[in-house]
This record gives sequence, structure tokens and C-alpha cells, in this order.
Amino acid sequence: MTDITITGIGIVSALGIGREAFWKNCRNAMSGIKKINAFDTSSLRSNVAAYVEDFEPKQFISPRVYRRMSRISQMAVASSIEAITDSGIDLKSVNRDRIAVIMGTAYGSSSHVEEFYVSLLKDGPRGAQPFFFPETVPNALASHIAMFHGITGPNTTFCQNEISAETAVLYARTLLLTNQADVVLVGGADELTEILYSCYNVFLNRAKAKDGEPVRPRSGDGLVLGEGAGMLVMERQSFALDRGAAIYGTLKSGVVSGGTAPVGHYETEGKQMARAMTLAAEQADVEPEEIDHISVSANFSGELDRMEFHQLSSFFENRKTELMVTPLKYLIGDFGGAGILRAAAILLSLRHQVPLPAVKADSLLGESQYPLLWHTLQEGSPQTALMTSSTFGGGSTSMIFVRE
Amino acid sequence: MEVRTFKRVAITGLGTITSIGKSVSEFKQGLFSGKCGIGPVSLFDISGFSCRKAAQIKNWDVESFLEPREARRVSRCDALGLMAAGEALADSGLNLDQCDRSNIGVIMGGGAGGMLSWEEYRRAAWSGKTRPRPSLLLPMAQCSVTDLIAKQYRVTGTRSTVSTACSSSATSIGYGFDLIRSGVHNIVIAGGSEALSELTFAGFNSLRQIDPEYCRPFDKNRKGLSLGEGAAVFVLEDYEHAEQRRAKIYAEVLSYAINSDAYHMTSPHPNATGMRKVMTTALERANIGVDEVDYINTHGTGTKINDRTETLAVKEAFGQERSGQLSLSSVKSMVGHCLGASGAIEAAATVLAIINQLVPPTIHLDTPDNECDLDYTPNHSRPRDIRIALSNSFAFGGNNTCLVFAKAGKYAGL
Repeated sequence: MTDITITGIGIVSALGIGREAFWKNCRNAMSGIKKINAFDTSSLRSNVAAYVEDFEPKQFISPRVYRRMSRISQMAVASSIEAITDSGIDLKSVNRDRIAVIMGTAYGSSSHVEEFYVSLLKDGPRGAQPFFFPETVPNALASHIAMFHGITGPNTTFCQNEISAETAVLYARTLLLTNQADVVLVGGADELTEILYSCYNVFLNRAKAKDGEPVRPRSGDGLVLGEGAGMLVMERQSFALDRGAAIYGTLKSGVVSGGTAPVGHYETEGKQMARAMTLAAEQADVEPEEIDHISVSANFSGELDRMEFHQLSSFFENRKTELMVTPLKYLIGDFGGAGILRAAAILLSLRHQVPLPAVKADSLLGESQYPLLWHTLQEGSPQTALMTSSTFGGGSTSMIFVRE
Repeated sequence: MEVRTFKRVAITGLGTITSIGKSVSEFKQGLFSGKCGIGPVSLFDISGFSCRKAAQIKNWDVESFLEPREARRVSRCDALGLMAAGEALADSGLNLDQCDRSNIGVIMGGGAGGMLSWEEYRRAAWSGKTRPRPSLLLPMAQCSVTDLIAKQYRVTGTRSTVSTACSSSATSIGYGFDLIRSGVHNIVIAGGSEALSELTFAGFNSLRQIDPEYCRPFDKNRKGLSLGEGAAVFVLEDYEHAEQRRAKIYAEVLSYAINSDAYHMTSPHPNATGMRKVMTTALERANIGVDEVDYINTHGTGTKINDRTETLAVKEAFGQERSGQLSLSSVKSMVGHCLGASGAIEAAATVLAIINQLVPPTIHLDTPDNECDLDYTPNHSRPRDIRIALSNSFAFGGNNTCLVFAKAGKYAGL
């Protein structure tokens, strides 16, 4: 079987700008969830999110270029620059028709949708600002990445709510397995705006924070939103080895399946999540006992977190009492591009041979009266990781990553 | 997924709803008779716009298609997609109760998705006079239509939603092709849906890309595009599977390609590099020579730059001599530019052209343009032996997609 490897990582997140900062905060279970200062939340159910506060596009992109981009495009381009540099690919010496850019985003630039529509409401059709309109399409960020680097290969964007990035990864894998590309920049990104936050109001976590205070949302109290961008460089193992690339890890398998859930809800029983896990393990030829790391998509919403707990308990029935999982969205918030950040955390863990912080799986039930206890281990030898994801509307994905 | 197989991909079901017909049979009749679906817009207030026409689907709304309780929770875009999917599945003759529903994928494409619903919410919130209904926000996610189709038919295979503006649903058909060709699924429901919205209407108006009357692709006096709405859904199926169940096979998908201009957010590359390469790559992947292609369903928006550039791309991809022998047409002259759904609607038109061996016309094409000097089948459909046909879709952001279709039975693909 052709192995798909990951050779580059780029990160812009509430846990740090750049993969090293992200990794440092990630391994120590630092939380990126804070009180929102970027916009007014006074009339809303919550005031916390994993907002990227210290992102400066000028550190990555010239003002002439970044001024034409929305915030989400800026973050995505910045993460692509870091990922390409990290991969060691010299774009001047490769056929850029054979490099793909595949992105996942739940909503694209909601800020530019809002700005454009409000300009229409305020000033009428003749006052609508054309500057904002091109950025309202979700594929704007992938196009900016292509334009920035001159990458002319396959280019597309997936919008599948919280598993947008995961579906992008699986399509990227398809492109590599079917030889439609040699290298794929696959990413996920979303931006958090006032309008988007207010649209989610009924689903938000009840947590309210004051300035400077730590925020401790509870599972079951509603989801906590986040934002950011992540980028992976994926290529066939043979291609990576031929060019002498350093490999973070291998994506052994990936499955996307669809449960039938009402819009705005998760699949209640999680049968499709279980099916995706089983198929991903089968395709990777991995037994549950061989999996030494589990990354879950729990996001503090009771519906998803409980479903994941029950399905994981069933899948790993032999270690039910000691099952440990990493709900990274408890640190980075939930957004359509979060899957890339979760995959990046796994790959960094495999590279550094340091386990990711984890919590007891039953913490996902939110029944404990005590604060969530993260176990941070400085030693270990992670080899095989399972990453499960589920979204509103019922879709689920599972992927298996292994150490090279 | 492990790519062990190279299965052939059949089209066994079609569903369409457009301004020229609310079913495939009506669409076909309108398509070959050169019916124009472009007219005044009544979905929202267009009084302040200088251009007030689009290809709106008339005498149809969500409530006419769904139960009132359900209609409150889905957008116009979702309902269009559900209706086309329903027609396509019925047309395919599949008995889903006898199918492994986990082996059926749903891949849809869209542009603005449930924007019209979001706008209703936003406008009400802006006015402060009424409290907007939160359920209007539910279809805001692009994947809403994909999830609803999967839920309606309880299919649990691969589920994805492509959003690359005007090429979205062409790419969704391409991804569906990949999933069958590589043996992941034996059936994929693929297509796209799009509803008119104030945002897109105002957006293209603000960019001064809309013809005040109706679009005239490839005409010397063309002034821009006309927006449209609609949906088209394909049932793609493993060719052997379709033959075994004695399904009617409309046509075969031979290949597809996608790429990027990497040039500009709203303009195609002036040298037509990306457009040319996407056609060439798609043909190479299908192992098809330019002499075997008879028809190209163009992107053909009616903007000065698109039509000129696409003409150049066809000439460069096919050579001067062969490009002059091809039949081309722009369906947008009839159904408008349906953005996220346009790729699937035009793919459906391409398949109908193959089935009926009839080239759809480009209507409103009265004055030839020296820079657009190919045979665009002006104003009247024309019989032709169509063995292989391409369907082009070129999007904002430089996203290009080309689909390759063949007459059923004849071509074995790669």
C-alpha cells in the first residue's frame, strides 16, 4: 500500500503562532480559551473562545498583499509559509502543476460576508463595497495560498462544518493515492467574528469569564468556539524519501462516514463514528491494543462528548477503566479547521516522542465536580494514534497516524 | 482508501431543477429549444439595482415542495438540492432498501448555500423591528444540503461538500468519480445546488459584471453575466454494478481534472494557462485524444474576459484545426450563471447532449466577435455525433474544473 507521509507543519492558533510555540503550549496543556476582547459579547450566552489574539500578518506577508485578504486568508497563508519552509520543498525547483492546495473551512470569511452585506443594508445597492465581495467565497483562502506561492496544481475547498479540515485531508489523500498530485498542502482555517459567534449563541458554553481569570468550561455546558489555521504538507512516502525530506509521520488510513442527524445536532448514538473507527483501524491493519494515543473531537457540548465516550469505551473495551484521550478542542476551541491542528499535535508528538496531554475518558461526561485534570507526560514513545472527529449534521471521520 | 481498482463510472440517474424546467424532461425541452429563463427577480427587493434580471425559478418555493414544519428548517438552496436528488434517485431505479447504504456517498457542491436564509435573519436583526427566527441560521453551513440529502435517504457513506464558487459542483462530480473509480463506493450521489441571494446579486452588481438585460455569451455586444439558480444531481455508479442490475446508463464519466490559475481572485489568467491545462490534463487522464472530442459545454459566462480567454484556451488545447471542428455552447445563456450549481447543471446539459446526440444552443448570440471565433452553436440546437464531450467550469479564485463524459458503452476509460 502506498503510504502518505507528512513532512511539513504550519500553525496559527490560540495556543501559539508557529508550530514550536503551539507544540510547547500543547504538550503542557495550556489553554487558549479566554475572555473575548475582540468584539462585544455582552448580550450573548457566553463570552469565551479560543481567539488568536497576537497574530500580525505583516510578520509573514507584505502589506501590499495582505491588505487584500480577510483575516482567515491571512492566517491560512501564514501557516502555509511555515509548512512549506518546514517541509524543505524548494518551490522553484519543483513542478508546481503537481502541487495541490486543499483547504477545509466551515464558513470561510464570515467577516467579509458581514461587511459586504452590512454595506448593502446601510448604503443600498450602489453603496455595496466591491472590495469585500471576492473574499466572501470560502475558496478565497486556498486561492490566496496558490497565488502567494504560484502553486498551479489541483485546488479545492471543503466546507463540512467541524470536520471540514478532516474531509480536506481525506481528499488530499485521494489525490496522492490516485497520482493526481505529488505534494498536497492541506489545511484548515476559520475566523471567529461577532456575527458568527452570535449565530452560534444557543449552542455556546455557559462559561462567562472576567478579564485575566482562567476559564474552566465544563463538558455538557455547550461548545466553545475557536479559530486559527493549520497546514500540513502531505506527499507519498516515496516522493518524500527521494527528496530526502524529514518525515513527521504517516497517515495510514482515513475514513469519512455520515450519520443521520438533524441539522444542528450530532449523531446521537455514534454508530457511524464507530464504523469510521473500525474501518480506519482495519485499513491501517492496526488492532485497538496497538493504538497508544486517542485524539477526540469533544468540544464541551454534551451531545458530542458523551457520544464519543460511549463509542470509544466500546471500541477499546479491554481498557475501559484506564482509557485516556486528548480532547484538544478543550484547549483550542472548536472550528472547521481544527482537525489540522489536532493532526499537527499528533504528528509533533510522534516526531518528538513525547505523548500529548490527556484526560481520563470519563471526563468527557462532564459529571465530575472537580476541574478537568490533564495528565502531561514528558516521557513515552508514541507510535500509533487514532484521531476521531464528528460534526453537526452527523458526519464522522477517523484517521490513523503512525510514527515513521 | 487504497487504490487497487480502476473501475468505470456510469451515470444512471439525473435530477435537475432550473429556471427553464423543474425536472430533467422539462430542462431537456427548454435546453434544446433554446428557452430563456432570465427575467425579473422577485425573490428580494431589487429596486435599487441597476441590473434587475436573473434566471429565477418561478412558481416554486420551499413550501411548495416540503411540509410546512420541514420547510421552516431548510433553505431554498437546500430544497432545490433535495428536489434534484429525489428525481435523480428515482430516475436511477435504485431500490435503496436493497442497497448497502454505507456504500453510498453524497458529495455536493455549493456557492452561497443558505445565504438567502441568513440574509432574512440579518436583515430582521438589522432593522430591530422584529426578532429573527434562529432556525434561519441553521442552513448557513454549506454542508446543510449534503447532510439533508444523506439524512433523507439514510445513506452513510463518504460525505463531503465542495465550495469553490462556480466550479464547486463540477468538482463534486469529480470527487464522486474518484470514489467509485478507486473502489471506495459503488454509488455516489453528486451534484450541486444554489439559490439566488441578495449577497451574490449585489456582489456581481458591485463588480459591474451583470448584463442589465440577459447574458450573451460569445456575442460581440456581451456586457456580462446573468445570475441564476437551480440544482442538478447525478447518480454515479460503478459501471459493472449498473450493468448487473440492468440499469439504464446515460453516459460514462471518463475523467476530470482540477487546477488553479494562481493569478487573480476575479480574473482568469490572460494567457488562459490554467483553463488550457485543466482540459489537457483531463483528456490525458482519460487517455483521450483531441480528435475524439466532439462537444465542449463551455463555462461561457458572457463576460468579455471569460469568453475571450476560454476561446483562447480551447484553441491552445485542441489546436487551431480541431478547435474549429468542435461544437461548443453556453447553457448559461438560458439558465444564467447558477454559481455553485452551474458545474452540475452544465454537466447535466452535456450528458443530455450525448444522450440525444444534439448540441444545445448558445442563445442571444447574434453578433460574432473576432476574438470568439469558434462554433458556439448560435441560437438553435444542432444534431451531431457526440462521442466525447467536456464540461468546463472556471471559478472565482482561479479554480478550474473540467469533466470528461463519453457515450455509454463505447469507451473503456483508462
